[in-house]
Amino acid sequence: MFQKFRKNYFAYLMILPTLLYLIIFQIYPIFNSIWLSFTNLSFLRPDSGNFVGIKNYIALFKDSNFPMLLGNSLLWVIGSTVLQYLIAVPVSILLNQKMAARGFWRGLMMIPWVTPVVIMGLIWQWIYDGDHGFLNQILGTGIVWLGNKNTVWPALLLASTWKGLPYATLMFLSGLQGIPKDLYEAGYVDGCNSWQRFKYITIPLLKPVIFVTALTSIVQTWTKFEVIWVLTGGGPGYETSTFPTYIYSKSFIMYDMGGGSAVSVISMLFMLIFILIYLKVYKKNLSEV
Amino acid sequence: MKRRSISATFLLYIGLAVTMFFIVFPFFWLVSSSLKTSQEIFAIHQTFIPKKITFTNFIYAFSGSPGPNIGPLMNNSITVAVFTAIITLFFAATGGYAVGRLHFPGLQTFVIFIMIAQMFQGPVIMVPWYKMAARMGILNTKTGLVLIYLTSTIPVAVWLMSGFFKGIPKEMEEAATIDGCGKLRTFFQIILPLVKGGLVAVGIYSFILAWNDYQYALILTTSEKAKTVQLGIAELMGGIGQINWGGIMACGVIVTIPVIILFGCVQRYLIEGLTAGAVKG
Repeated sequence: MFQKFRKNYFAYLMILPTLLYLIIFQIYPIFNSIWLSFTNLSFLRPDSGNFVGIKNYIALFKDSNFPMLLGNSLLWVIGSTVLQYLIAVPVSILLNQKMAARGFWRGLMMIPWVTPVVIMGLIWQWIYDGDHGFLNQILGTGIVWLGNKNTVWPALLLASTWKGLPYATLMFLSGLQGIPKDLYEAGYVDGCNSWQRFKYITIPLLKPVIFVTALTSIVQTWTKFEVIWVLTGGGPGYETSTFPTYIYSKSFIMYDMGGGSAVSVISMLFMLIFILIYLKVYKKNLSEV
Repeated sequence: MKRRSISATFLLYIGLAVTMFFIVFPFFWLVSSSLKTSQEIFAIHQTFIPKKITFTNFIYAFSGSPGPNIGPLMNNSITVAVFTAIITLFFAATGGYAVGRLHFPGLQTFVIFIMIAQMFQGPVIMVPWYKMAARMGILNTKTGLVLIYLTSTIPVAVWLMSGFFKGIPKEMEEAATIDGCGKLRTFFQIILPLVKGGLVAVGIYSFILAWNDYQYALILTTSEKAKTVQLGIAELMGGIGQINWGGIMACGVIVTIPVIILFGCVQRYLIEGLTAGAVKG
């Protein structure tokens, strides 16, 4: 054991900073929030932070918003992932074709991805604005898109698709570039039409990339707070609140940190499920590292 | 391969036009609105291109009340982002080298650890982090922001750098070892200079992540002394009375253009690194 360690001391020395940093500033907070969910912590009351058992969890399950939160979180994750992927597959195939200035178009694609989320929020709020928004102008309507129960979700999903499409497209593009050209030529010689080549060559070979990218996107969207927060703040009411925005509202607006932590823990339990699937998929990859 | 037919080419460019409209229009609308006079902004029929170009919105952005005075806020953001980037590089260089180049028991566990750490971002760590920051006395400081940004930059930076290290030919390293260099010396004198490009790309990426953040600044900073520009702009939206859309759009242009330029400079490098992980599977 000791010898093994001596042989690899250099490697361990190299991972030590990262390991320590993440344990202190990321892993410890995760476990700390499990503990906090059993307390009545509130930063408004200095004497708070006492153990209260499962009171926060009972309150959460009695909370009339809870079923809606769960539904919204699932709608948000599934809706944005599915929309992004339905659009990203054809877009990446499109950008993989020979065309004029292809590099330039691919570069432009990345604009939404690097745009700060606050700015993304204000651009879309301005487009959706009830009085002067561009969308109402071209449709000739006067809808307050983000303030109306029926339109707020489609509006949110469209904006989030704008932000997320570049990343998915990028991944698929590099997946497409990894497909050997001779496969298509063989398909062509065998008399496949372009639909058949798409169905029997492109899709099967792209599948692993789609799967891994989709899982990453699911986990990331599950924890994502900013996009919804800058567009609706979880409103109107709690109409567009998901687990992450509710954690924030509860902890930093109502100052119920214990209750907020309980929402965190429930949310992380769901993440565990995603992570288990994720690890299974990645196992294959990891053996090659 | 055969040549494309005319109708296929036509369809291709239609598809391209639709996609590019969806992607570029919102950004174009930001820039266009920032250059419009308030009469034009609130006109019933807005035009794509401003009839009369004005820079008053940009003056508003840099002036104090009623403007947001984003100059000092940008200073805060730059300081925080630069420090985040530099410190990230230290972790990315060391951890990335171990992952990309060295074989040791526990490597797989370490990689999984990094990937999982990367997933726990945002509100799920906000409450304990706030509490920890309060206890350390770093609420409302740039130090606090740098420390929390590192939790989101380090995992992805280690991962990206490991890819760049993997690209170095083995012979170079072996030659250095034979010449009698110690391991640490080999690392600093031979290996690091070989991944200079990668370090620049990862540094810029970390800078962008820190610059673009909103959620952590929202919980950790309230005062002018540490508040970031993103937070300052977000607060403008919540103001009372009629929103000065033109002025807000100008702020948006000011903070977005630098990021787009920076990203453009290292795009090629970054994309290689970012896609490598997913595509290998």
